[in-house]
Amino acid sequence: MLPRRFDQTRPFLVLGIILLVWLVVPVAMKRLLRSAFFEIQAPLTATQSYVQELQDFWATRLHSRDELYQKGRDLAGVLAQYDFSLQQNESLRAEILRLENLLKLPPMPSYRLEPARVARRDFSGWWQHLTIRKGASSGILVGSPVVFSGGVVGRVIEVHAYTSVVDLVTSPTFRVAASANGDNRPVSYQGGDNETFAAPHGTVEFVPLDIFATPQQPRHLVTSGLGGVFPPGLTIGDIVKLEPSNDGMFKSGDVLLDERLGSLTEVTVLVPLNPDQL
Amino acid sequence: MRQHDYRWLLVFGGNLLLLWLAGLANHYLAAANLHLYVGGLLVTFAALRLDLKHGFTSTVLTAFAADALAPVPYGTSLVLLGLVHAVLYYGRQRFPREEVVFAIFVTLVSNLFLFLALSFLLVGRNPHPAAAWMRLFADLVFSQVVLGLATSWFMALQEHAFALLRLHPETGRRVAA
Repeated sequence: MLPRRFDQTRPFLVLGIILLVWLVVPVAMKRLLRSAFFEIQAPLTATQSYVQELQDFWATRLHSRDELYQKGRDLAGVLAQYDFSLQQNESLRAEILRLENLLKLPPMPSYRLEPARVARRDFSGWWQHLTIRKGASSGILVGSPVVFSGGVVGRVIEVHAYTSVVDLVTSPTFRVAASANGDNRPVSYQGGDNETFAAPHGTVEFVPLDIFATPQQPRHLVTSGLGGVFPPGLTIGDIVKLEPSNDGMFKSGDVLLDERLGSLTEVTVLVPLNPDQL
Repeated sequence: MRQHDYRWLLVFGGNLLLLWLAGLANHYLAAANLHLYVGGLLVTFAALRLDLKHGFTSTVLTAFAADALAPVPYGTSLVLLGLVHAVLYYGRQRFPREEVVFAIFVTLVSNLFLFLALSFLLVGRNPHPAAAWMRLFADLVFSQVVLGLATSWFMALQEHAFALLRLHPETGRRVAA
């Protein structure tokens, strides 16, 4: 029988051995293990999302035909506007192509649009992630930008078989090159300020000194296109506060983001047609 | 014929269920910018009721499952949950480990330690770490309140699972119906 003191330290000995083994396990094995454990739990996440959709379907079935007809009629106006925007979009694309050929410019990044349902939201104080129901099977690539009708949602950081994880624009680990609307000088946006029961916020840095913003007169912040990941001109949020930074050479401030980010159910992944873009 | 002992699988299954339920809760709490962290409850039953081998097996597997869903270096939960498990196992003989009240106390203290450890590891990513602590504090208080209410339910769930299979959690022997 082992001495009592040794017997008492057995749990720490076992832990030490486990950690030692873990240190020498190859990185590839750790990646495989991580992927395996993610995929074990992925069906639960996806199933929960499908059940939610089924709930919404049956809730919609309870509406009368008159109500549904009314909603369809209201949507018709919105759809007509989108149809017109699509036509304008096509003519603008043709114009861009003509100018690229005329001036021998390099082509602008082009994307394939992949709509995806949001299966799970995970908004902690340490990170802010979404899990979407599209993955490698739909051609999603790591680093692909994700958008919604209100602008930037985030960036794909993990791709699994049929799910992907998106780092949200409010996450402290999310950074993107941006610019104030109407100005082409680059500024840096980073997520991070997510107080409980408050609207989502981010921060902006390296803002030129001649740009001003207040809560009464916010300045619209859009992606600048630098880095080639996000196309230029996508809405990030509104700069509502700017103060001189410590060095006095630039300003930094707060960015108010879209409140719908906390309740998104559908997003669009911009899958680049040329993967080298990422 | 050799009897297969799946106590570790039973507890791991219960922890997977807890992780899924916590994820579901966080999905709906996202709009309010609140987060539920249940790390402390993942270790309690395994550390207090199971033997060393089965307890550590389920804790290690639970740590792998928890880390797979989190953007942290893979193995972070292994270190933290493993440490909590080792400490609880080391000291459990001195306390009434069968009592639910003690289990609640252990869960709350473990969760506090794990939450603070993770926060110190990850808060540096935030552009305003000082402001981030306010959000983390709110999450911690919320998590502790929920765990205080949910621990007895989760412990009873796992006890009932063992009772259904007529297994003693610590020895693995068959018990009378």
